[in-house]
Amino acid sequence: MRQDLTDLNEERVAGESVDPDVVNRLFRSAHSLKGLAGLFGFDPIQDLAHRVEDILDGLRLGRVALALPVVALIDESVHLFASLLEQIGDEEALAAAAEPIGRLAERIQAARETPAAKSEFGDLALEPSVLRALTEYEEHRLRENIRRGRHICLIDSTFEIISFEEGLSQLTTAIREVGEVLSTLPAPGAAPEAQIRFSLLVASDTPAGEVASRLGLAAGAVRLVQAGAPSAAAVASPAAARPSGIAGAGEGAAGAHRDSGESSESESLKSISDTVRVDIHKLDELMNLVGELVIQRGAIGELVARLSADTATARIGSDFAKVHKTLDRKLRELQSAVLDVRMVPLSQVFEKISRVVRRLRSDLGKDVRLELRGADTELDKLIVEELVDPLMHVVRNALDHAIEPREERIAGGKDPEGRIRIEAFQRGNHVVIAVADDGRGVDTAALRALAEAKGLLQPGDVLSEREALDLMFSPGISTRSEVTETSGRGVGMDVVHTNLTALGGVVDVESTPGRGTTISMILPITLAIIQSLIVVVARQRFAIPLNAVHETLLIDGSEIQRSEGRELLNLRGEALPLRRLAVEFDLPAASPEAKSFVVVIGLGETRMGLLVDRLDGQQDTVIKPIQGPIPVVRGIAGATELGDQEPVLVLDVSALLADLGRRRETL
Amino acid sequence: MSASLAETGAAAPRWQDLARLAAERRSAEVESVVVRQLLTFVLDASPYAVPVERVREIVRVRPITPVPRVPSDMCGVISLRGEILEVIDLRLRLRLRAAPRGRASRIIVVHSVGGVAGVLVDGVSEVLAVPEDALRPAAATEAGNVETLCVRGDRFISLIDLDRVLGFDAQR
Repeated sequence: MRQDLTDLNEERVAGESVDPDVVNRLFRSAHSLKGLAGLFGFDPIQDLAHRVEDILDGLRLGRVALALPVVALIDESVHLFASLLEQIGDEEALAAAAEPIGRLAERIQAARETPAAKSEFGDLALEPSVLRALTEYEEHRLRENIRRGRHICLIDSTFEIISFEEGLSQLTTAIREVGEVLSTLPAPGAAPEAQIRFSLLVASDTPAGEVASRLGLAAGAVRLVQAGAPSAAAVASPAAARPSGIAGAGEGAAGAHRDSGESSESESLKSISDTVRVDIHKLDELMNLVGELVIQRGAIGELVARLSADTATARIGSDFAKVHKTLDRKLRELQSAVLDVRMVPLSQVFEKISRVVRRLRSDLGKDVRLELRGADTELDKLIVEELVDPLMHVVRNALDHAIEPREERIAGGKDPEGRIRIEAFQRGNHVVIAVADDGRGVDTAALRALAEAKGLLQPGDVLSEREALDLMFSPGISTRSEVTETSGRGVGMDVVHTNLTALGGVVDVESTPGRGTTISMILPITLAIIQSLIVVVARQRFAIPLNAVHETLLIDGSEIQRSEGRELLNLRGEALPLRRLAVEFDLPAASPEAKSFVVVIGLGETRMGLLVDRLDGQQDTVIKPIQGPIPVVRGIAGATELGDQEPVLVLDVSALLADLGRRRETL
Repeated sequence: MSASLAETGAAAPRWQDLARLAAERRSAEVESVVVRQLLTFVLDASPYAVPVERVREIVRVRPITPVPRVPSDMCGVISLRGEILEVIDLRLRLRLRAAPRGRASRIIVVHSVGGVAGVLVDGVSEVLAVPEDALRPAAATEAGNVETLCVRGDRFISLIDLDRVLGFDAQR
């Protein structure tokens, strides 16, 4: 912009005429500066740029005479811009600059109000329709050329419609050799079929007849509009230097305008797009790759151990160990960075739920207040997706079944307005989403009756309150006798349970009759790589997700107690039910007297101890589904690789815990 | 130069004619006979086959992790480039005599209607292209695992009905 300004100043010094190209360039610069300033909120700069743009526009259209004060003003503005641009980021300096900017802007405004003399084109041999079609800029160029005493003529030309752009462009280029194209207009009157006629308003130092011959046109095609002064100075046509293509001068100017707008827009796009939308599957791929790298790292670890163990290679082994350690750290960073990318807040799910609750509230005619907490809790995108349906179901259930009708609430001495509170928070490697209502609570007697009717329960079975509540997750159970539109056709809570289990989560219910129910969903933060405890039973390795492991104990066979044929361990005064993994999986059992390890596992409230032969350390594991025709036994969630080729089965802790309860019923 | 040009010029048509003839003969063959490509393998010294298009890959026997509480004809699971696949002992599945895995034993990874699985065989023989008319429907057996028999010389090769043998939908 500075360079252009220098050019403009030189031109002012050199003579009377304004090179439209220079002004246009300056105009464009001012325009994009304005756009950028506006984008970044630098209001003073934007304002000044706007004024400069105004005055340049005036200059361009000949409304403002090119005079020293005008150029000086623009010059001052440019200097001010430069210093302002250096100060960007410095709020104080910008604020201080507001005053000089204001003054400058006023002076520019004043300068604009001195208009250039207007002349009429009445004495030109031009149809009024042509004159009317001229843009302000074109008029100005016409005026300017007349003032300079150039010949003005109208060139008619006919082109084939298919190729007119090329022909027109050739003609325009040719005309530039002899003069300036002031305007390109579609010619009035009908053109022969498949042809198109144009009239080009041209200013030239060359007389019309000569123009025709120079362009290789018939003499009749060039019509003199106004003869110029014979002594017209043979200055190079400014238009010849203009880069605009086939378009006429007016269109060129408009194009310039448009261009500047576009360039500022594209710059704005560049500067604001610091977020990228990524297909979740691409992230999955990335995650898989990281998972495999993690597994390979395990294999390298083993090599390191082997090298270090052999005295011949111990030195290289220890060097290798250092490299391995660095690799390990970087991989962990990579892993957590990729995991981080997958994390999304629950707010979107919460918004969805509030919409549904609003709609249901009016549909059901119930007064319910929805309270949402912890919307910024983050979860793996995939888990969030899978969570929406179960969560929605639980909320619908609460609204439809748990919250009593208004009259019933008033009769029960409750707040007539029901309340559902959804609360999300992180607890270790898990996120807990609790849906609490202040409704009527779960009718466990009705649940029992239903379970008995469905044959899920024998009439004589003794159940604890918790076990009775858990019945709601059995297939085909719904406590409301009538089927409602909103929730419940007897499918529902069992689906919630199934879905959450598939995600490696658990559901917990707490309910107080008449006071309300809280359903807590406990989910792992991510499905991807998890830490596992490797255990050995009958020489076969199994992986237990570490997030479900509370502690491990080494016990003596004599410490195991028995009650009703089931094995128990006194764990700090609490009775911990024990299961032998060998027995669960029909593997050869170690002798019962031997020392063995107990892995205390639990999710939610339930705990149990798994008896294993040996512990084999912790490993990063990626749980993969088992593919094949045979359904895998309950209690196995999938398999994982640990660096060697042999897959290791991963235990499904929630299924094992659930079976613990089930066996209690059947025994 | 002119001589060599003349030679090539004379030779070229002959080569082209040969190529055209060969191509015509081949396409004529394809048109008249539908050819099935079969992967043949051995189970208990007898030849069996599966359609080639059902075979994803053939891998050497690698460590197989046993899975508790599954039918005895499931050997366990293997890891194949990050995938965990079940491996079915085809001998046991077809109610043949059990035998230890040998050096020639292979796992054929096959596609079935329900998904992918590995089948353990005693050894892989070859890929055979047989015309459709060499296939004979198999006599109905109680197991019904053999779809058709393929005649090769005076020997029969049993073409296995994979969907039935693996029984994805029957069990899932």
